[in-house]
Amino acid sequence: MGAGFDGDVPMLEFLARMMVRRKSARGRRAALVVAVAAATQALPAAAIPVFNRQTGQNCQACHAGGQYPELTPYGRMFKLTGYTIGRRTDVPLAMMALASVSSVRNTSKSDDPSADFSKNDRVVLASASLFAGGRITDNLGAFLQYTYDPYASQDASGKYHGHAAADNMDIRYADRFVGTGHDLVFGVSANNNPSVADPWNTAAAWMQYVPVPSPSSSQFIDGATPYPGYGVGGNTSGLTAYAFLDEHLYLEAGAYRSTRGVLAFMKLGQPTSGLTRLQGNAPYLRAAWNVAWGASTLMIGGSTMRSRVYDDPSVADPATLHRFRDSSVDAQYQWLLDPHALTLQAVATRQQHRYPDSLAGQAPAFVDAQGNPLPPSSPSDVLRLLRAKASYTWRATYGAGISYFDLSGTTNTLNQSSGYDPLTGTITATSAAAPSTRVNGNLTGNPRTTGETLEAYWLPWQNLRVGAQYTFYQRYNGSARNYDGFGRNASDNDSLFVYAWFAY
Amino acid sequence: MKPLFSIAWLACAVLLSGCADPSRSRALGDPKVPGQALAEQVCSNCHGQRGVSSSENFPHLAAQPADYVDAQLRSLRGKHRRDPAGSVYMWGIARDLTDSQIAQLAAYYAAQPAAAAGPAAPAEPRAGRQLFTEGAAERGIPACASCHGDKGQGNGGFPRLAHQQRGYLLRQLAVLRTSPDSRPMGSIMNTVAHQLSDDDMRALADYIPTM
Repeated sequence: MGAGFDGDVPMLEFLARMMVRRKSARGRRAALVVAVAAATQALPAAAIPVFNRQTGQNCQACHAGGQYPELTPYGRMFKLTGYTIGRRTDVPLAMMALASVSSVRNTSKSDDPSADFSKNDRVVLASASLFAGGRITDNLGAFLQYTYDPYASQDASGKYHGHAAADNMDIRYADRFVGTGHDLVFGVSANNNPSVADPWNTAAAWMQYVPVPSPSSSQFIDGATPYPGYGVGGNTSGLTAYAFLDEHLYLEAGAYRSTRGVLAFMKLGQPTSGLTRLQGNAPYLRAAWNVAWGASTLMIGGSTMRSRVYDDPSVADPATLHRFRDSSVDAQYQWLLDPHALTLQAVATRQQHRYPDSLAGQAPAFVDAQGNPLPPSSPSDVLRLLRAKASYTWRATYGAGISYFDLSGTTNTLNQSSGYDPLTGTITATSAAAPSTRVNGNLTGNPRTTGETLEAYWLPWQNLRVGAQYTFYQRYNGSARNYDGFGRNASDNDSLFVYAWFAY
Repeated sequence: MKPLFSIAWLACAVLLSGCADPSRSRALGDPKVPGQALAEQVCSNCHGQRGVSSSENFPHLAAQPADYVDAQLRSLRGKHRRDPAGSVYMWGIARDLTDSQIAQLAAYYAAQPAAAAGPAAPAEPRAGRQLFTEGAAERGIPACASCHGDKGQGNGGFPRLAHQQRGYLLRQLAVLRTSPDSRPMGSIMNTVAHQLSDDDMRALADYIPTM
């Protein structure tokens, strides 16, 4: 689920790298926590066939070209009216499972390929989810996802251990008032992930859709590239109210805070150390304008969120707060005329991240190539992301897509995880004082990551999607070449991801 | 503050859901929900409020003859109509409708003001108009107007065509030509559609939205 600025895993790894950099016991613990969070939260939700059974309709009624989770105009109204269209099912459950193969182009530039590219070229059962939801009353409905990750953690011997935890959850009340000349849908959503209540698939919680397997061979696949997100991660609890007037103007406002009390089920299975702990309320605002004509629909919108996140979720120490200001503009165009389904999406986001005082102004452990000290760490960073995607599906059976991503931002020695050791003047992974990181290292302290993904997919029947994605990188962690200081180039991370995604 | 936040959503959900009003229900399978509520709360998502669709993928239902809507809903409920649009979108919607709800829906849409004419086609739709009003006797194509009315207003079991959108018309003509069995109630159109060339279909689809 959405848990970071640049997609689920990258932001968490970004934070993990940042914290590892601190070398303190607390920093290492926090990094572990973040890594666990990455492993357990990076599993996006998808369509649930319980809705199909509830309405009796084919998946493509709600999902453009049958391509879940992207919603059609009807699917958006189904969601906004609280998942209440249809008849209540006797067993409101559904499941999905993903099997996949990931293949990184170059696995040679690594001290330990089996660790850096675990499960490379091997078929894995990447994740499995159980869903509950649908119509509860005339006005109340739910979408609840609980996900099992067979590769959630790894022990010292390298053996993987599975773990199940709460994923995206959305319980909502909705009503619709139809008057002379006006149509108002109004609702309230209790959910655990900012923007999960949003009906457009440019929303942070929904733009990245294929579940990302946890083994490190999947760390460069499309789902792990920069995607929109918020400083607040998943497994928080939020209450938002929304209105959709005349199917044109959408407004949503609410707040998120740490999950506890009666909403504890929204973090079910998550270790306390893996949760996002917020100070107070994190306000969330969303506005969008939607228009339909012919076979087209167009949405242009934006969102903003502010949050204060404790560095270590087990310690509510105000001195360790990370302060995030997120804002985004997004647009989605759909041309849906059976048997064609064309979608264009674009999102531009900006995140300002102010670090705790303890992380600002710190002298880096690394030095430059001449042995001179590097600038002290900055008190804040700004990240910008542009993400665009075009996809086409024919007869809800064959489809292809192309997407582009460009993450840029300020350079900060705080984010540098590779560099020259002041004692030896070399870049080494074994230095006690300034160890550098292979494969994921960042030699520049700049986040610039750019690339494209090509995808082709096939839906032989509505419950199964088979796809192949190839992701190309032009830059990774600030550089096209030698981004980790050990000679690894961005293009070495190019990855093939083949998946079979089944839902019932 | 903590307890307030924790129970706020529960209060909203429990208290407000207790105020459910059948006139605003989206329940399919509840015979107490009136046809107008279903039209406003469910059907409108594709066919538009008052039966004027904003999408070419779906037909306007406003001012359709009640007999036609009634018969189509019964055909969809029984899964007799099997064209893709019918099965994908409508089988589920129609499966639990009662006869009374179907009659109410048909009456509701018949009473709505018709959709406005679409923008004129770039070229003068002369060929379409001629086919519609006169047919092409030499090719065995009767005038559309002979069944659908001189203004395309529909007649009993024959649907209103006037101002239907181009994409929808093309798709349905293709269904009637290539998969006649999937729309058994449109069997009378099978022979006609079989005689229509692609150019004929485009000409009709250009003209009918503007007539």
